Amino acid sequence: MTILIVLLSLAVGAYLIAVLESWAVHGRLQPARPAISALALLGRESLLARTPDRLLFETGPVLLLVAGLLAVAVIPLAPGLIITDMATGALFLNAALAYVLVALIMAGWGPNGAYGMIGGWRFLGQFVAYAMLIVMPITAVVLRAESLSTVDIVTSQSSLWNIAYQPLGFALFVAAAMGLCWLPPLDLPTAPGDLAGGVEAEYTGVRFAVLRLARMVIILALAGATVTFYLGGWLGPWLPDWAWSGIKILIVAGLMVSAGRLVPRVRETRYLELSWKLGIPLALGNIFLVGVIVLVVPI
Amino acid sequence: MSALAQYAILFGLTVGAVGFVLCVYALARVIGRTRVEPGKDVPATAGSLSRDPVWVRYHVKYYGYALLFLAFDMEMAFMYPWAVVYREEGLVALLDMGVFLAILFLGLLYGWSQGALRRQE
Amino acid sequence: MIGARQGTMTMLQRLVAAAMSRDIRGFVVPGADVARAAGLDLGGAGLHLSATPRHANVLVIIAPLPAGLADAASVAYGQMPRPRAILALGSGDLGPLPDADATGPLTQAGLVTAMEDLRWVIATGSFRSDVDDYEAPTLQTRTEYTCPMHPEVVQDEPGNCPKCGMTLVLRKAAVSSHAGHAMPEKERDMPVETRVETTSAGHDHANDKGNKHGGAHDHGHAKHAVSEPLVQYTCPMHSEVISAEPGSCPKCGMFLVPADTKSEHAGHDARHGHTKHAADESPARYTCPMHPEVVQDEPGNCPKCGMTLVPVEEAVENSGHDHGAASQGHDNGSKSSHQGSHASHGNDVVIEGIEAHFMSMTDLTRDMPASEDGLKMEWIGVPFGPFFPGLPSGLRLDLTLDGDAVAGTSADSAVGLSELLHEDTTTPAAFVDQLAALSPLSPVAYSLLACLALEQAAEQSVPSSVARARIAAAERERLTSHFGWLAGFGTQAGFTWLEKRATALQLKLRVAPVIEIAALAPKITALLTRIQRTPLLKARLKGIGRLAGDDALPGPVARAGGIARDARSDDPIYTELGFTVLTATDGDALARLTQRCGEIFQSLELILKVGAIAMPEPHGIGTASGTGEAVVETPRGAARLSLTLHNGKVTAANIETPTAAHVDLIATVADGRELGDALTGIGSLDMSPWEVTA
Repeated sequence: MTILIVLLSLAVGAYLIAVLESWAVHGRLQPARPAISALALLGRESLLARTPDRLLFETGPVLLLVAGLLAVAVIPLAPGLIITDMATGALFLNAALAYVLVALIMAGWGPNGAYGMIGGWRFLGQFVAYAMLIVMPITAVVLRAESLSTVDIVTSQSSLWNIAYQPLGFALFVAAAMGLCWLPPLDLPTAPGDLAGGVEAEYTGVRFAVLRLARMVIILALAGATVTFYLGGWLGPWLPDWAWSGIKILIVAGLMVSAGRLVPRVRETRYLELSWKLGIPLALGNIFLVGVIVLVVPI
Repeated sequence: MSALAQYAILFGLTVGAVGFVLCVYALARVIGRTRVEPGKDVPATAGSLSRDPVWVRYHVKYYGYALLFLAFDMEMAFMYPWAVVYREEGLVALLDMGVFLAILFLGLLYGWSQGALRRQE
Repeated sequence: MIGARQGTMTMLQRLVAAAMSRDIRGFVVPGADVARAAGLDLGGAGLHLSATPRHANVLVIIAPLPAGLADAASVAYGQMPRPRAILALGSGDLGPLPDADATGPLTQAGLVTAMEDLRWVIATGSFRSDVDDYEAPTLQTRTEYTCPMHPEVVQDEPGNCPKCGMTLVLRKAAVSSHAGHAMPEKERDMPVETRVETTSAGHDHANDKGNKHGGAHDHGHAKHAVSEPLVQYTCPMHSEVISAEPGSCPKCGMFLVPADTKSEHAGHDARHGHTKHAADESPARYTCPMHPEVVQDEPGNCPKCGMTLVPVEEAVENSGHDHGAASQGHDNGSKSSHQGSHASHGNDVVIEGIEAHFMSMTDLTRDMPASEDGLKMEWIGVPFGPFFPGLPSGLRLDLTLDGDAVAGTSADSAVGLSELLHEDTTTPAAFVDQLAALSPLSPVAYSLLACLALEQAAEQSVPSSVARARIAAAERERLTSHFGWLAGFGTQAGFTWLEKRATALQLKLRVAPVIEIAALAPKITALLTRIQRTPLLKARLKGIGRLAGDDALPGPVARAGGIARDARSDDPIYTELGFTVLTATDGDALARLTQRCGEIFQSLELILKVGAIAMPEPHGIGTASGTGEAVVETPRGAARLSLTLHNGKVTAANIETPTAAHVDLIATVADGRELGDALTGIGSLDMSPWEVTA
């Protein structure tokens, strides 16, 4: 039952995010747009390149969807409203999201097209840039919660949300999360102006629809993770628990999908440099700082 | 819920996702089949028929970062269990990990000074 | 609908067809830049642009389709998934494409009406029981066989891989991909290491086997099998175009003629000769192509950069050879590999059943081009055009990529007029129209150029008020064109906000009278100020595409590098209006952005100062005779036209445009850069491939 409710809210959330994204891209709020686009994609041919690596080509979008769903499985929407409250939740989230990289490289390599392959390898570079900035801030969060369980992480913030407790970690985590969802300005693997679609370029019709769906699920999973780790999850006054989670997740996801249109795409070289020369030292400092605060101030 | 049951659920979720995708594919298949036509199966490259092959020994220019990343990724695996018991262990844990992180950070600085943190050209 | 899917319209199909009619994704031919310059607001008409034909269901054609783009358009159409439709705006021939499903005049109103028609066509005709394949000569592919482990092994007949013995698998390749094996002309002039290029893939590798078997010299059988169909056809103009079937040239559209196979094979023959030569008398000394100070007696790698050393004597000999430049790279590669394998033969552990060197890293990488850091990599040739979303449409750009870095470029224009003057364009009015048609991106500047040259030839002069109003028209076009460039930059850099705003302003300013321009001035200022303050913008553009000041730079590109060169500064009317040449420093992509923003302000001021706009029209030419020459600073640089007028008819005309200079700059801007940076650099030049006459 719980699982069904979570999956249902996931579907609703994905739909709302798709509406938001089309609003950001086309500048008009059309609530029916994602449904129309999805139906239209179903009606188009789904082409197969002439000499593809069929296995990688077909696995890519499915793996992406599975990775997103597994990540969502450890995001709590309310006490008890979580698919699996694993003792190793935060670690599991990380593990599931690592497959995003694998899936994108598969999708890029599979069709034997130049733009896709370059996009896939570009994403590997992007991964090298963001991966540490996902892991390190989560460590600092776990430091305070004394547990890897996502439910415990939320309850540990009952007195003060982590966004105030460790703002540095929050900023780094969001920047890395944007990279993980390859959202603009970090949409290097699909860059329409640079690579004409990149890893998405050879997916058409129903396969493309699955790819887009998986993308939405991953965005939601990351927004959910941000809310769980830094924005106090379901915590909040007046409204019911699930409503708070829902509102927070939608706001975070909405900001993530719309912010990128206001700035030009970041160069991969620049992203790597920034995250290793600035981000990682800061993230290590964040762990140390939080470590000291945890010992000194008992909240 | 036991850990085993949790993994069963996750497995079920995976199978369910694959099943869902297969259903959607089947629906698309009912709507129509893909027609094989000349040129249609060539990967699209801006109006030119692209050349084969593109599967090549690809030169990743960020390999300096990638090598450092390997070291960091390994070390980070130790951080999670440490973080969980951190408050219990107290200052000792801070010092332990402080030394560990300092060494890791020195590694980063060394790599940096040797030019690992740049695009290799 | 000709691009319908096979099937019948039952409930489900009706539903998806209705959805598809409301989800129109267009791929624009020639491109969004031309559409904007023509005043089309595609987004406003409910047409979402798609970066690749794969995600489009409508091919939007701005007719007439230029001859040089006909084949590319048919490729793009052929690669769109069904159901696919064609929307043609304007009148003209669609070349090899099927008939348009909806048509309209080249105006916004025409677009909106055509979109309505199109929606209806898609909603009702997406599935049909009688569907024919779309076939065009350019889409033909041929069957060939390749090794799953060694993609460079390609041959026409099934068999085993000469490298690893695996059974070759069948695949299809484009007939025109054959052209890829021949060296594009441009690359012949490149330095040694950039020239080696993808060509090393097929042939040299095939030779490896011969070398390994101790000099049995069964040369390049694989390659020969590929390149010897019974009769070949080639283009009289483009010798690199080779096809197994008669047809037309993908580059210029000329009919292919049966090839003199000898000339096609010349390159290979030359190599054979050299390889033999190598076997007979091995050269004594070896040197590094990059470091001439490295000289040694034995083959090997350069201690400085790791590149394979090349024999000294041969390099000298080859320079006098017919195919010198083109074949040198190959020869060096295959010969040194030959030497190398002889040297290493002695120490090989021979395992029965497995060929010596099986999967040996040294062997696998032997003939690969070396990157700048000395690593042996495989390079690929990737086309970026003529319809690449981040580049000017009509620019045919082929990049040789070493990973994600550009190792070589080859660029030319796929569009432009075939001739400036023909029977219908000798009258002054028609000649002005013809020049305006030369450049869809800046027609006013070229009309003005034609008018000035004609009037000079006829020794006429226009009243100063008219001259000033003409200048205002040219300045309005500069403003519009720069906004068009900003929109294009927005597309390329994923800066959607800028793309939207700049497009909106471009469309409004295009035909705006002075009073409206004055009203829009605050909006323009706000946009430009906002651009300067955009975070991440400097990091994106700084240092990209830097060009040192020299004589060949055109227009804004020169001025962004601090060179005060502007044809307007010689014009007394501009001087009267208080025009001074605006320059920026640095000469990189950021400086070009700043420069264009500055020029927008400047043009705005000039227009407001003049206060009236008049389109250039030839004035009092009558039946005069004479010669005239004029220079106009177009939005992209100075264009120069000289013509001869005889009894009121233009009998000769010669034009110089900034396009050629732009094309020459591409290699400088792109070589060695990361792909994204290279494209940003090329985009920052703001070139127009249209302004050429073939």
